[in-house]
Amino acid sequence: MHGILATALFLVLSLAPAGAQDFPSRPINLIVMATAGGPTDIAARILGGIAEKLIGQPIVIVNKVGAGGQVGWTELARAKPDGYTIGFIIMPGTNTVILDPERQAIFNETSFVHIVNHVLDPGVIWVDAKSPHKTLKDLFAAAKAAPGTLRAATTGILSDDHLNILISEEAADIKFRLVHLDGAANQLKETLGGNIDVSFDNVGSVVKPLKSGQIRVLAITDPERSKFLPDVPTTKELGYPTIISSSTRGLAAPKGTPDAIVKKLGDVLKKAMDDPEHQKKMEEQGLGVKPMLGPEFAAFWKEQHERARKYTDWAKKRPQ
Amino acid sequence: MDTLQLLLNGFAAALSPGNLTFALIGCILGTLIGVLPGVGPAAGTAILIPITYKLDATGGIIMLCAIYYGAMYGGTITSVLLNVPGEAASVVTCIDGYAMAKRGRGGTALGIAAIGSFIGGTIATIALVAVATPLSTLALRFGPPEFFGLMLVGLCLVTGLAGRSLVAGILMTVVGLLLAMIGIDPVRGAPRYTFGVPDLYDGIGFIPVVMGLFGVGEILATAENPVRDVVRTNLSRLLPNLEEWKRSFGAIMRGTGIGFFLGLIPGVGAIIPTFISYIVEKRVSKHPEEFGKGAIEGVAGPETANNAYANASMVPLLTLGIPSSPTIAVLMGAFIMNGVTPGPFLFTEKPELVWTVIASFFVGNVLLLILNLPLVGLWAKILEVPYQYVCVGTLLFCVLGAYSINQSVFDIWVMIGFGFIGYLLRKLDFPLAPAVLGMILGPQLEKSLRTSLEMSAGDFTIFLTRPIALSLIVISLVILTVSALQLAPKEIREGSAD
Repeated sequence: MHGILATALFLVLSLAPAGAQDFPSRPINLIVMATAGGPTDIAARILGGIAEKLIGQPIVIVNKVGAGGQVGWTELARAKPDGYTIGFIIMPGTNTVILDPERQAIFNETSFVHIVNHVLDPGVIWVDAKSPHKTLKDLFAAAKAAPGTLRAATTGILSDDHLNILISEEAADIKFRLVHLDGAANQLKETLGGNIDVSFDNVGSVVKPLKSGQIRVLAITDPERSKFLPDVPTTKELGYPTIISSSTRGLAAPKGTPDAIVKKLGDVLKKAMDDPEHQKKMEEQGLGVKPMLGPEFAAFWKEQHERARKYTDWAKKRPQ
Repeated sequence: MDTLQLLLNGFAAALSPGNLTFALIGCILGTLIGVLPGVGPAAGTAILIPITYKLDATGGIIMLCAIYYGAMYGGTITSVLLNVPGEAASVVTCIDGYAMAKRGRGGTALGIAAIGSFIGGTIATIALVAVATPLSTLALRFGPPEFFGLMLVGLCLVTGLAGRSLVAGILMTVVGLLLAMIGIDPVRGAPRYTFGVPDLYDGIGFIPVVMGLFGVGEILATAENPVRDVVRTNLSRLLPNLEEWKRSFGAIMRGTGIGFFLGLIPGVGAIIPTFISYIVEKRVSKHPEEFGKGAIEGVAGPETANNAYANASMVPLLTLGIPSSPTIAVLMGAFIMNGVTPGPFLFTEKPELVWTVIASFFVGNVLLLILNLPLVGLWAKILEVPYQYVCVGTLLFCVLGAYSINQSVFDIWVMIGFGFIGYLLRKLDFPLAPAVLGMILGPQLEKSLRTSLEMSAGDFTIFLTRPIALSLIVISLVILTVSALQLAPKEIREGSAD
């Protein structure tokens, strides 16, 4: 089996240079597994709009929504590996779908070729502005005093926020009561409505409600402070250096896409990301850009996959 | 911002060329649906959802709403000229409208129906503006347990009231809930009832199902006995004379009140306000002997009530997320497809969209008046298209529409399959509305139930210790008891099926 694959790969590779020269000769489809208008979709459209000018062919955003991204990734994994279909993958969102046996995904950790990373949106831990928990220490102390009673919201099962809660529980030796909500808008509504004690989400979602004074962000789960939330301390500063979590989104192609085409796409997309217009628009959205090309991106994926494996197992074993 | 300011902004957006065009197209298509017998508002709205699918959410919803009230408006034409109601709510109009047409006063019957509908629709929309904001302020008090109670009330209302038998209603609701469960579990992420078929991972599409149940099913049922006999009547005189004005004015005002208040109650079908209005007019009239022989009040009252009802039924939909009739249920599904979830949070989350849509109701009413008064002759011509062309054309349109949503051939099969199921259920007299409602409310019901239990770590008393949630659950039980004991007025039970 491996022999056949290797031969096939060799054949594809040896043919690649000819294909790469006139690539692309027709529009490129970019699969986005999130709804049109959401943060992932907006970021994709900003990038696609700039990159298509550089690459000389239209980049068509195709929203393939459903099953927490699984529908889109299935489509991407099944697509013809010719560089004309690429798509976003999410760490750890894509990884947990692969790792959860119940999801019966038809793709695995080797199904995608890593082109270039796009966004790294660090996790945040936040509460209602009126909450009695003024700091992360207050919150963890309260959770320790009454295990399993503080209601902590994710933005969906096996999302990065779900894993972030498990990572925090492990680091502080505490236990929350998990409530899975759909997305940031629901989280905000239930937290302000007093139905949730603490929410775990990402920087991109909390910038606006923080500015309007509705919420208090206790910590950012990243080694460095965010330029969008300069006053929010990091978990590292607060004495929990192991609570690190983010949602990282990048572009990938189906396995078997010729190296030369992947490289060409990576270079063009990276150039688009460095464009001042791109940076300005992403800044307005509160999204941090973190380009990582091919091998660096692949290494990051691998590291995230192993980390996600541990917490996916935990999440599946927990009663909630 | 206060309500008036929001509404004015809404008007600015609704009158933009794009949105105005969508409202106009919606009104034309809606009137067309109303005119074509065999294609009712629920079927027509379901069939036309794919057209709106590629528009932005506001434009799509404006067009869908325009299709809805356009159809409520257009049904009058066939009632008057053919003695066949284009949609169920125009049944009463047949009695005196057709009689008027035979006496050569068909034009006036259509004229007063259009004017009455305009007045009823406009006043009802003003009332909608007045009650929507206070109702929507309840939103912040609604957490998952309260939302669960609300969904339960919605399901019980439609199950209990929509049909001749409570058992059939419950059966169809459960079928809808089961259909809603197909696909990936929204909380744990495990596939349910997918049998390893990848097309089922994302669940059964709501649109192909309603297109099948309502669209294809209705076409098949009508194909069995198409009725055609256009009355040649005088359409040149549309405006009523002074005497007719005097007799119609009171009827229009009473019709507005009846339609509006019944529209606020979910589960009261569109046909009921028209019947009640007709009965009221006959009682208060100085010449009840003329009813059935072409009394203008018998057209003005019910037609006004019909449109006041159509606009008022937007109140429970927009503020509570509870659809009052099958057509509104289809409309609600289309809203959700467009990324807009009707309910207590709509007014705080998407105020621009809601107020633009409400402003578009006013715009739509004006457009319909313009479309109906001078162009009534044109609509009458459409009646002469033989049914076999209408039937085949609509079926072709359904297939194209079902495919176009996701470019999925699987969706076409789903639609055809549910078309036959819808036909059989019609023949067996099972109500379709509870199934559709179960399918729409199912995911929200399940999600709010499970989120509530996550909040309480599995303790069911969370539903008993929160006053709003508890009251809503008690209300649901009362509704079911009332329907089980058949305490509801007979007209309501008999009339809600459509």
